[in-house]
Parts: sequence; C-alpha cells; structure tokens
Amino acid sequence: MTSGNQPMVSIENLWVRFSQKTVLKDVSLSLWPGQLTVLVGPSGSGKSTLLRSINRLNTSAECQTEGTVRIRLHEKVIDVYRDPFPLSDLRRRVGMVFQTPAVLPFSIEKNLAMPLQVTLGLSGAVLSERVVWAFQEVSLWDEVKDRLREPAPTLSGGQQQRLCLARVLALEPQVLLLDEPTASLDFRAAARIEALLARLKQRYTILAVSHSLSQTRRIADRVCVLKEGQLVQDLARHQLEDADAFRQLMESAF
Amino acid sequence: MKKIFDGFFTGLAWLSGLGVILVVTLLLGFLFLHGMKSITLTLFFGEIPWLEAITGQAPVFDGIWPALVGTALLVLLSSILAIPVGIASGIYLSEYASRRQRAFLGWMVDFLSGTPSIVMGLFGFAMILLLRKTLVPKAQTSLLLAAFCIALLILPYLIRTTQAAIEGIPEHLRLLGPGIGFSKWQNIRHILLPIAGRGIFSGIILAIGRASEDTAVILLTGVVAHAGIPRNLWDKFEALPFRIYYLAAEHRSASELEQGFGTALVLLSITGLIFLTVFFLQRRAEKWWQTR
Repeated sequence: MTSGNQPMVSIENLWVRFSQKTVLKDVSLSLWPGQLTVLVGPSGSGKSTLLRSINRLNTSAECQTEGTVRIRLHEKVIDVYRDPFPLSDLRRRVGMVFQTPAVLPFSIEKNLAMPLQVTLGLSGAVLSERVVWAFQEVSLWDEVKDRLREPAPTLSGGQQQRLCLARVLALEPQVLLLDEPTASLDFRAAARIEALLARLKQRYTILAVSHSLSQTRRIADRVCVLKEGQLVQDLARHQLEDADAFRQLMESAF
Repeated sequence: MKKIFDGFFTGLAWLSGLGVILVVTLLLGFLFLHGMKSITLTLFFGEIPWLEAITGQAPVFDGIWPALVGTALLVLLSSILAIPVGIASGIYLSEYASRRQRAFLGWMVDFLSGTPSIVMGLFGFAMILLLRKTLVPKAQTSLLLAAFCIALLILPYLIRTTQAAIEGIPEHLRLLGPGIGFSKWQNIRHILLPIAGRGIFSGIILAIGRASEDTAVILLTGVVAHAGIPRNLWDKFEALPFRIYYLAAEHRSASELEQGFGTALVLLSITGLIFLTVFFLQRRAEKWWQTR
C-alpha cells in the first residue's frame, strides 16, 4: 500500500436522491490510506447511503447520484460514476461488511471459498491457501480449522461477523466499508472486532459507521458527523482525546 | 374486558387448530373404514398376476394399476413442464421485472390461479379442436395435452412461492452478492436460490399435490375409464382421481363403491409419499449445501 500523500477515496459534491427525497446533500470527503474514519450521525442521516455510494451499491431504480467519487486502485484513479470500470471489480476492491452478519446457509469453508471460485475462478491449492490466509487475517483460523465443513450458521455472532470480514478480505480489497459491524454483537465480540480493525487499518483504508460514541473514541483516527444528509463535523484524532469535550461536540452536532 | 377478548381469541385459535386435526382424522378414519378392506392385489391388478401386470406382459382391465401409472406419468410430465417455467417466472418477477411489469404480470398470475380447472380443461379441449381444423387434422385429447393443461393449472403456485421466497430474503443477504462483485445472475444462482430453496420446495410440493388430484382438467383433455397404460404421449390414459369419480358416480355394486374408497386411500397415500419424498430431498439438498 502506498503512503498517505494522496487520498484513497475522494468524494466531491455528492448528492443522492431517492425519488423525491434528498438523502445526501453536497457531501465532500476524502479517505486516506492507513486511516480508520468513523462516520456517525442520527438514524436516517444518510450514513449507509454514503457508504454504498462509494461502491455503487445504492441499487434501487429510484436512486439518482450526482457528484464525483474517485478511488485510487493500483495507482490509477477511477471515477466511479463515469469511467467504464467493471462494477464487479470495483465492488471487490471496495469490500463491504453489513450490520447483521450475512452468513450463507453453507459450510464455514464454502462461505469463504464460493465467492473466490465464482468471481476470481480460483480452485485447488491456490483457493485453499487463500481461504486459510483470510481466516488467519481475522484471527478465526484456530477457532474453525477443525470444523470447516460444519454449517456456518452454527458459529457465534462475533465469529460470523469475522467470517464476513474474512470473505471480503479474501477478495483482496483496498478499501473497507463497514456498516455498523459490531451493532449486533455483545461487548466481548465487539472488542475483538475493534482490535482486528486497529490491525487492519495499517493495510486498508477503512470507513466505518458506528452508533456507539465510546467505540468511536476508541477506534477512530478521524470522525465525520453526518446530519440530515450533510457533513457537519470533521474531527481529527487529537479532538477525540478529551472524552467530555468530544461528548459535548457530539451533542451539539446531533 | 381486554382479558376476556384475549381469552376468547386464544380459545378460538386453539379450537381452530383442533378442528383441523379433527376433520383430517375423521376423513382418514372414514376412508380407512370403507376402503381398507378393498386394498388387496385385486384392487390393483384385477385377476392378472402382479408381476405380469407390472412388467407389461398382460394388460390390466379391472384394477387401478393403469390409473396409478397414468397419474404418476401425468404428475411427472406436468412437473417437467411447469417447474422450470414456474421457478424462472418467479425469479423474473422478483429480480428482473420493473414495478409496472411486476404489477401487470402479477395480476396475470393471480388471474391464472383463479381460473377454475374446468375452464382450463375447456381451454385444452378447444385447443385440440383448433389444431384439428388447422395444422394437425389427427390431433386428439391425450396424456401430453392433459399434462400441458395441468402444468398451466399449477404454474401460479410455483411462480408465487418462488417470488415470495426470493423477495422475503433480508436486505443484508440480498446485497451480499452485489457487494462482493457478483453479477446479477451469479447472485441469483449462488446466493438467492440456495437461501430461497425451502420456500421454492414448498411450492413444488403444493403444485405436485394439485397436479395429482385434479379431475376437471383431465376429464376434457384425455382421460378415459378403460384406456390401459398409455403407450406414448399421444395416447389416452387413466388416472386415479377420475377412477374415483367414475366409481363413485357409476358404481353398480357396494363392492365397486368400496373399491372407490380404496382407490381414494391409494391416491392419498401416493400424494403423501410424494410429499415425503420431496420433503426428504429438500432436507438432503439443504444438508448437502450446508456441509460442502
């Protein structure tokens, strides 16, 4: 991964509308490599829509997007909404994890292997190596190595969410979009994911949505506050150090 | 007041549940009582030795064997015709159709499901008349025509259950495929269909049940009382529900009526067996998916 003198993702004057409702208003934001940016804001403020506009996952027919989203993939800057870059490649490069663990009714191993077979055509030893690597990347390998053929829904919630993260990482993304990845987990499982993110941010550009202000303070290098579709605050790490000041800032923003 | 209402509706729900069990038990008891006696090899094969009948060495005139084979062929053929089309239509409606197309086609599917089966039979009959006057002067009602009309009859069950099963998939699973770079078809094939599998199978079970019991459609499209086992798709055939209808309406002795009850019991057992087989297959398929 390259040094952080150029943004990995740059969003300029982004407007997103669904039918008559404007969800994002003139949002501009840059994401830098090696940084974990946390997006906070009240429900319905457009956090998920902003996340999904980066990998073009606002799939509804009524969705209209204006503005520019540029992503630097392998030293080439791609204009997501204008360049003829294959959508499937974009979405592999910009991996996404959802709030509820999206576990498929397959075995633990197949949950990881199937997307690799389908999208990259991997098989045999290469496939197995990649699967093991991805499980190790999310510190899940020791927990699942003896039960790879068991149904994935038998894993605990935290393990399922790490499996989802592993599935995304196996596809070798450069940017990770995490939509409240710990919202459905207990504090212990959430803490493991947080520790994992602290490690992963060294190599991936991460934009995460969080509802928990204490979690935000723990993990964020930068906090962006979204309110009624507009970016109203952009806080650096040093502004998060003082808990009271941060809470006051958030209260005024919300 | 609230407590009384609560108690009343709880009681009503219990009673309704018990009512279903009671009705089914009564029905089965009645059929067993009247039909069990006649379930012998004679009911199936008449005076013909069963081995000769099954291997086709001797035709069966007095037993229900040809009707059993006819119903099995009818269910098989209509399933082959309807299941792929029904599932594909369900996928189209849930994944590809625009809102307007979905409303219009959905209305057509509902219309088709509301069509009385006798009308479907008349449609098949009219089609044969048309064919006779135009392209195929020798066209006649047959197993294939009956299977085609039955396929039309069961199509809405398959379409609607497939559509509902896919549309019922929660958003985080629905977005998973596109989110990891799957194309639309890859998402349907590798993610949505396996998740919707159980719902789709229940549609298949419903459809098979409907195909095996319908009488009105086949009455006008190829079933006859003593056709024997059909030699090809263009042949007339016998079927269990028609046999029951025929025995009930035109029996000449008490023993013939008992045969009717026996045949009803056989039909019920066969449908039950098909349900169990499909159910078992579905569970096996699910297990296979989950552990591979």
